[in-house]
Amino acid sequence: MLRFSILVEHWDLYMQGFGHTILASVLALIGSLALGTIIAIFRIAPIRPLNWIGTAYVEFIRNIPLVLIVFVFFMGLPAIGIRFDSFTAGTLGLMVYTAAFIAEAIRSGIQAVPKGQMEAARSSGLTYLQAMRYVILPQAVKIVIPPLGNQFINLVKNSSVLGVIAGLDLMYFGDLISSKTFVTFDVYIFVALFYLVLTIPLSLGVGYLERRLLKAR
Amino acid sequence: MIYFHQVNKYYGDFHVLKDINLTINQGEVVVIIGPSGSGKSTLVRCINRLETISSGELIVDGVKVNDKQININELRRNIGMVFQHFNLYPHMTVLQNITLAPRKVLGMSEKEANDIAMYYLEKVGIPDKANAYPSALSGGQQQRVAIARGLAMKPKIMLFDEPTSALDPETIGEVLDVMKQLAKEGMTMVVVTHEMGFAREVADRIVFMDQGRILEEAPPEEFFAAPKEERARVFLSRILNH
Repeated sequence: MLRFSILVEHWDLYMQGFGHTILASVLALIGSLALGTIIAIFRIAPIRPLNWIGTAYVEFIRNIPLVLIVFVFFMGLPAIGIRFDSFTAGTLGLMVYTAAFIAEAIRSGIQAVPKGQMEAARSSGLTYLQAMRYVILPQAVKIVIPPLGNQFINLVKNSSVLGVIAGLDLMYFGDLISSKTFVTFDVYIFVALFYLVLTIPLSLGVGYLERRLLKAR
Repeated sequence: MIYFHQVNKYYGDFHVLKDINLTINQGEVVVIIGPSGSGKSTLVRCINRLETISSGELIVDGVKVNDKQININELRRNIGMVFQHFNLYPHMTVLQNITLAPRKVLGMSEKEANDIAMYYLEKVGIPDKANAYPSALSGGQQQRVAIARGLAMKPKIMLFDEPTSALDPETIGEVLDVMKQLAKEGMTMVVVTHEMGFAREVADRIVFMDQGRILEEAPPEEFFAAPKEERARVFLSRILNH
């Protein structure tokens, strides 16, 4: 039987961790959406050097373990005088990492819009950016939302990497409570439940959006 | 209006257009025919630089199309284009499809653009579909919307790239009728098509292409009665007698 007393006694710590996990996830999501969109545009813009930068970003970041990227922000950058607290370093690492995946999702969404759409828009005299904005992106969004939702779920789970650098998230407080109480199993079960509280609604939400977008043309 | 001089185009090693020389005057309707893969579509798509030429000279409306200095968007607003697969914007209503370029390129107000859109929708015979989405229209209706979309920019030239090839036989006529009307009104038109009836009736000139070359150029009565080139004779006999 689970020892709910642990949950009750350390509710404040759990809540602190839960709050930081949400905060890190939301901040990293916003940041990675912005950065990922820019990288995606770099990858598909009709300008070669930008393509290279975009591709290099995606390939490097995607193929390095997340923990390593977080270490760069937490221990690498301080070596050249840029210092972050552990929460900030973790969130930045999370953002940079997730941006690579979001960029790929957005890129493939844009490229899934039939070529004729861009041709029709450009041949009517719209500029590349206008064609993107009014014709391509509104169609790409529908394609991109489900994979983006999945990336967000991954992001929430990946935020546990903050625990490794004492980033004040759920995982960190789980470790803390466990070392205070010498209880492992129960403590981490509760941690897992807190993650599920976040990810299950997200997962259901993504499924719902997916079905709705399928219906809408 | 449109002037090709010794134009060549390659896709990698593949020589798509070979020494193209062609002049199209204002108000002329030129129909390009030929077997598939002969370069007809590529030729038309060069006119508004959807394809770039590899060498030679191409002047459209007084502008060297492949000059890097020119503003291609300015040239394109004067050239309407109708595609085989319509390419209507599926997330916009018919009205929004037609008014997008007039508003964003010409800077028209919504009211002004809507009035023009309705005018052209009347012209192509489907004003009642203004608020429908493309997916709710038949192929023929979609293609007529695409024509209205092109016309709403008041272009000097209209390009048609196999406009009826993706249509149900029953709806081909309604699209051709709109195009005939347009030709009568003096629009400069370049049309790639397999509709020989249309070519015979509407064209001022037939251009026959094969393997990237223009083999024959003649008025329709002359071309259809007695094509000079053997290849054109074979093509016509295959397409007409089956």
